[in-house]
Amino acid sequence: MELKHRKAGTVDIIELSGRFDAYEVPLVNRWFDEHTTAQHVIVNLGGVGFIDSSGLSTLVKGLKRCRNHNGDLYLCNLQQAVTIIFELTRLDKAFNIYDDEQSALDAIPG
Amino acid sequence: MRIALVSTYPPSKGSLNEYAYHFVSYLRLKPEVSEITILADELPSGLSYPADDTESGRASVHIRPCWRFGDWKNARRIQQAMKQIQPDVVLFNMQFATFADRRVPGALGLLGPWQVKSERTVSAVLLHNIMETVELDKAGFGGNPVMMWITRQAGNIFTRILLKADLVAVTIPKYVDILTSKYGVDHVVLAPHGSFEEIPEPAYELPDGPLQIMAFGKFGTYKRVEPLIEAFALLQKSHNKPLELVVAGTDSPNTPGYLEGIRERYAHVANVRFTGYVEEEDVPRVFKEAAVVVFPYNSTTGSSGVLHQAGSYGKAVVLPNLGDLAELIAEEGYTGEFFEPDDPHSMAQAIAKFIDNPEHRQHVGSQNYLAASGLPINEVVDWYLLHFERLLNTRNKVLAAESTERG
Repeated sequence: MELKHRKAGTVDIIELSGRFDAYEVPLVNRWFDEHTTAQHVIVNLGGVGFIDSSGLSTLVKGLKRCRNHNGDLYLCNLQQAVTIIFELTRLDKAFNIYDDEQSALDAIPG
Repeated sequence: MRIALVSTYPPSKGSLNEYAYHFVSYLRLKPEVSEITILADELPSGLSYPADDTESGRASVHIRPCWRFGDWKNARRIQQAMKQIQPDVVLFNMQFATFADRRVPGALGLLGPWQVKSERTVSAVLLHNIMETVELDKAGFGGNPVMMWITRQAGNIFTRILLKADLVAVTIPKYVDILTSKYGVDHVVLAPHGSFEEIPEPAYELPDGPLQIMAFGKFGTYKRVEPLIEAFALLQKSHNKPLELVVAGTDSPNTPGYLEGIRERYAHVANVRFTGYVEEEDVPRVFKEAAVVVFPYNSTTGSSGVLHQAGSYGKAVVLPNLGDLAELIAEEGYTGEFFEPDDPHSMAQAIAKFIDNPEHRQHVGSQNYLAASGLPINEVVDWYLLHFERLLNTRNKVLAAESTERG
């Protein structure tokens, strides 16, 4: 899996592509460990065609971290296979999910 | 957040007690949780639950025995206990036979989540089985076909009642599909079971000596070693490095004498070892010594316990390209090389990819180890808390709106 990071103002945007499973989880965990104060994070999942429970769990941990810093974690560009997993776990109700990056950026307060 | 957990709990011997123990041990470490009350089953005389645990830095844990297996009044007693402690959320850790092994008290106990919800408390159920897949005979509800039909119909009714809870979590995707499609609901969620203990990271080094290619199981029906031995013979011809084929296990009960016949038929193939029955304490060694684990199957009904074992020892695996097996394996996070069933050439090529490339072998073994390790229950608990927060927000909005309406 590939992870690309960029900033849009104070917002961190990480773009993931490839399989997001237990084997690739450390890459994303490492990013969060290196950005412990990240407040608003957009995760663009447009390039992710598969996510398993450990991938979901990594996003849950990221969400909790952001909310602990009075921020949030926003997801966008979910492929259908990934959307199905979010719906199956109903975690789609817990995350803020947007069609595209701009919509996610527009939703961030301030 | 103050959470009540309705469950059996050690030292109670009731089923799901161990799950509750591990769930609570992680739940209490979460900063958003301030108090946990376990509404547990009453213990036989001579046994007692641990005293209240109010150690600072973690949520306090209180155990309040308030129901008894087989009692007709369990749901009412749980409701009364719940009223006293006034939690934010009540989670039922249960299956259909949690409250009794007889129909009427068992069914009455299932009213609990509905009764909790009627008190305006968030009610959640972790349902470890569903009626649609329960084998009624084994669950103690069996009898003649008419009684089983009646039980099944009653099961439908009580599933509907359980579904009155604000949230119903199940541990298998198929259960979500069955409940949502049959009962037309959208609040059933998948929450993985979670693993209690960490599987230690395996050592990927192999012992000195020939590289071992191993197949494990009970052979003779759909697990057939003829193509494997023929593939092994091809590999010995094409490779200079010393190799050994280990057939670990016995005949399937349905095919007595199968392996003995194979041993005679392939006596001309060198370096093939039949271990016979592998004692439990020898299983780790057999897996650890193997460089590659092969699944010489020509049909299958789903995933495999042997695959999980191979994964837990960090092994590269060679699998048949059968139906949706590859997809199922990938969904579970495993990976390997695939061969066309019953084709020794295809199997030899798949095995060779690991023999020729130790880095690839270790990479795949490492991925399979991660798949076998599963999601720790500590992380699954976070999923529940996210759901609880969402449900509490919704409930609070409803209560606030009602309060405004009343003026």
